Amino acid sequence: MTKILKARERNAEEIKKILHPIVKEWFFSKFKEFSLTQKYGVLPIWERKNILISAETGGTKTLTAFLSILNYLVHLAEKQKLEDKVYAVYTSPLKALSNDIHKNLIEPLKEIEEIAEKKGVKLQKIRVGLRTGDTTPSERTKMLKNPPHILITTPESLAIILSSKNFVKHMNSVEFCIVDEIHSLDNKRGAHLSLTLERLNEISSQWPVKIGLSATIEPMEEVALFLVGIDNSRKIEIARVVLNKKIDVEVLTPVKNIIEDEEIHHKMYELIYKLVKQHKTTLIFTNTRSATERVVNFLKEKFPTEIGEEDIAAHHSSLSKKHRFEIEEKLRQGKLKVVVCSTSLELGIDIGYIDLVIMLGSPKSSSRALQRIGRSGHKLHEIPKGRFIVLDRDDLVECCIIQKEITERKINKIKFPKNCLDVLSQQIFGMAIHKVWHEEELFNLIKKSYCYHELTRKDFLDVISYLSGEYSLEKNHVYGKIWYDPKTKQIGKRGKLARVIYLTNLGTIPEESYINVKIAGSDEFIGVIDETFLSRMKQGDVFVLGGKKYLYRYTRGMNLYVTPEIKRNPTIPSWFSEMLPLSFDSALEINKFRKLMRKKLELGHSKEKILNFIKSYLYVPKETAEAIYNYFLEQHSFLEIPHENLFLIEKFNDQGKKYLIFHSLYGRRVNDALSRAFGYVIGLLGGRDIEIGISDNGFYISGEKMMINRALKEINEKNIEEILKEAIERTDVLVRRFRHCAVRALMILRSYKGKSKSVGRQQLKSHFLFSTVKKISKEFPILREARREVLEDLMDLENAKKVISWIEKGKIKVKILDTEIPSPFALNLILQGHSDLIRIEDKQAFLKRMHELHLQKILKKAEENE
Amino acid sequence: MNEKIKKEKNQEIFNNFEFVDKALFFPKKEILVIGDLHIGYDRMLEDLGVYFPKSLAKETISNLKKIFKKIKSEGKNIKKIVFLGDIKHAFYFERKERDDFLDVYEFLKKYFKEENIILIRGNHDTIDYLGGKIKAIHIEEEIAFLHGHKIYNEIFSKKIKYVVLAHLHPSIILKDKVKTEEYKCFLVGNYKEKTFIILPSFLEIFEGTSVNEYKYGYDENFSIIPHKKILDFYVYVIGEDKTYFFGKIKDLI
Repeated sequence: MTKILKARERNAEEIKKILHPIVKEWFFSKFKEFSLTQKYGVLPIWERKNILISAETGGTKTLTAFLSILNYLVHLAEKQKLEDKVYAVYTSPLKALSNDIHKNLIEPLKEIEEIAEKKGVKLQKIRVGLRTGDTTPSERTKMLKNPPHILITTPESLAIILSSKNFVKHMNSVEFCIVDEIHSLDNKRGAHLSLTLERLNEISSQWPVKIGLSATIEPMEEVALFLVGIDNSRKIEIARVVLNKKIDVEVLTPVKNIIEDEEIHHKMYELIYKLVKQHKTTLIFTNTRSATERVVNFLKEKFPTEIGEEDIAAHHSSLSKKHRFEIEEKLRQGKLKVVVCSTSLELGIDIGYIDLVIMLGSPKSSSRALQRIGRSGHKLHEIPKGRFIVLDRDDLVECCIIQKEITERKINKIKFPKNCLDVLSQQIFGMAIHKVWHEEELFNLIKKSYCYHELTRKDFLDVISYLSGEYSLEKNHVYGKIWYDPKTKQIGKRGKLARVIYLTNLGTIPEESYINVKIAGSDEFIGVIDETFLSRMKQGDVFVLGGKKYLYRYTRGMNLYVTPEIKRNPTIPSWFSEMLPLSFDSALEINKFRKLMRKKLELGHSKEKILNFIKSYLYVPKETAEAIYNYFLEQHSFLEIPHENLFLIEKFNDQGKKYLIFHSLYGRRVNDALSRAFGYVIGLLGGRDIEIGISDNGFYISGEKMMINRALKEINEKNIEEILKEAIERTDVLVRRFRHCAVRALMILRSYKGKSKSVGRQQLKSHFLFSTVKKISKEFPILREARREVLEDLMDLENAKKVISWIEKGKIKVKILDTEIPSPFALNLILQGHSDLIRIEDKQAFLKRMHELHLQKILKKAEENE
Repeated sequence: MNEKIKKEKNQEIFNNFEFVDKALFFPKKEILVIGDLHIGYDRMLEDLGVYFPKSLAKETISNLKKIFKKIKSEGKNIKKIVFLGDIKHAFYFERKERDDFLDVYEFLKKYFKEENIILIRGNHDTIDYLGGKIKAIHIEEEIAFLHGHKIYNEIFSKKIKYVVLAHLHPSIILKDKVKTEEYKCFLVGNYKEKTFIILPSFLEIFEGTSVNEYKYGYDENFSIIPHKKILDFYVYVIGEDKTYFFGKIKDLI
């Protein structure tokens, strides 16, 4: 097992000793002293120790990582010993990384060269090269001739380089490898990178020292293992740099009484405007793309003279790269007064001077909140300033708890996905392109990655079978990607196109397919909606797009034709797939607070006493405490307050429709799992489809016959995974995720024979591929991966199991109560509408039922005509 | 069932033909009719970079077998088989596709005399893998068979009572509040005093073009039946065990 050690703070004299005189002179011409991060990081890197450095933004991490490397290269350059090879690789998941690199690498290099020149020291040229998906072929050719000594790249481009025909020779003795923004790699990109790093280790004749840079994150030990891999010979130091930076944070409500004041939206914009006016540059986070546009438009319309076209901009991931870059540039130049973004400016590129961060709605976790607030006061000694603006009472409680977590520095945990078979397929294909492998050698390499350490040989061999075309019925026809010889146990690439296919299809971020929305008759283009959103609608539904309402008329191919609808209300809730889930840790904190509140109300404490408690517990002013008090008091008087040991289920009827509302405050991901497990079992018991609605604070199930008591007995910690696997088998989400996995595993190629195609999406509906694969084997590895992704990455099976086990062990008591109308805590959940359907009824039964309905209708019509 | 609907159904003269799964059968004449096959569709997908781990030709053969078996189990005989065009998919010569096509043809020869295998040209049948076997239209007494992308005057001759075609790949989308499913269907209706029968595509993975949208999105250039007329056609949805009558297209919910 890899050894994890704690890094210690070194003193400045020690560091000065190792610095080349020119580097030293440069450093102290720019800075007065070493930062704390540098005191932790510079020497271990110089000593060739692997290190993971976590510090809040503004902690000079990037320069820390580069200082020792620059120092080493300057030493070599002076002795004229620089070779034509890559010494250091820097990889960052950010698209717009070149600016940061400019500031932290290119500029220092230039200044060092200038100092050397002044002193008459002759240095070899130290080359820096940027290689991303945008690098042109001619730039690549240049790089091949004169390889950069420091290579700046993305995780994907690094993988491509390792499978390249020629450039890979420059990578055979990389000495340093920096992984930046490592905290944002708790996803398939991370799993992909973990294997790429092992490939780099394998190719390199010496160990590339790993340097991980991270925002404040937990658990650091896991992140360290992710960076360095698992092997008895490996060691890594962890440097938790605590800067003790103060944070100025507050939760604000636009109006005194959140539920009664109808002007809340109006007032919210006034509040935003007031804050914007008091500050130089304000950054606003809205969580969703649609809200981003809305806020920008409203602010412009409402304050046309104060906030002009030139002062405000929207920034989100669906804007073009060029457009985003322009906005970032303007920000850096201090030309913008307000920037509104969804989540896109959370990550650490330098965005210049910002003195206020506003969060509209909860950021859903403490680490995310910290990250966002850290975007302001980007210099070491400035105090970051953040304001939460909340619009409903659930949000209010949530933001106050998150504020408490930040203030007390409780950081929520991240988790890397494990054993992703689609990513593994892609990587094995890439490795087979590089050389011929022995099965054992390949398996051992893969298992060193933290994300694949527990990979079973069966899973591994299944992937090999898939890649070599074993699963196909018509062996000779099917396009296999690798060959595998069971006798010699050797694995290699197949086909002349293998490398091209790999290079043009590599990556882990799925493309979504969008439907164009057009006005019926005129063909006027309005915008796009997600394909899955369309599948939830039928003719006559009203939905919202870009702030306007439209009526679904008909679809044709990839187009949806609509008419503008003014009178009717939306019949389809706005899509919330892009909504961030509340972190499990923060959810538990809210449950804890609920329990404390319930106790105090039950004991009959005076309002004043409770207000004082809220004020000191949540660090909030009196008005906020009062709003929270009122909310809890209402719930307490109406029903009772659910909390960490009480799982409340409300039963109620709405015009003949039966509802079960589960007060399960564990975050959307856990509730997704729990609701489907309960929905599926209840649906099976009753024999009909079940409708479910999910939020962070709970979920509801609606249907005809609902035997909740039996369902509660049926579901336990041991069987919930199997129940869920069955429950998701016929859902759209599994089909959709399967398509993503199939693309990652290169079953569906995005680009082939020089043509970029969207075939997989447009011509072959993914459910056909899905059902075909299912016919071959229910255990087809990529199908298994899709199930795993749904259960573990999209949902949170692990914590759902935890909750169920708490119920089983009696730590949580379940109580079922009848209500006339939903209780105050349940109201938001019911209002947001349903989010999915659990299909119990099969396609044939559905056809029969629909047939009856149609016949009745035809009958009625026939009678009317007589 | 209401008398009126029954009457309407009887008008379709169901004693002359029946639906067998996705195929149409004329029991008295012992003719089986099959819609678009699109052999080679999987090859085309492969060529576009979609890994398709199944041979559609094999699937087609096994589906045909099932239908033969079903009809025979009812004590009926099949003398002739008519394929309504778009037998193959690619617009150009494709070796693997030809192999698949020949596999299917060899299979058919085990059941039928060659002259009783009728192949009709569809818009996809730009190449004749058998060299001269494919014809534009086939007439069997009062029944005319054609693909449906082009009009032939023969179908309007007085003796013709039935016009059987494919090409449109009709399917229906059924939705309730929360659920959506798509099914293949037959369309039956009257046009120019003939009974037109439109077959769904035989290929499993080609769900079709939904007739629900004919009200708004019907492309007259793609079909030989005018928009106004097609809306009066009746929909028969293919279920596992039988077909279900869903009334006229224009009355669909």
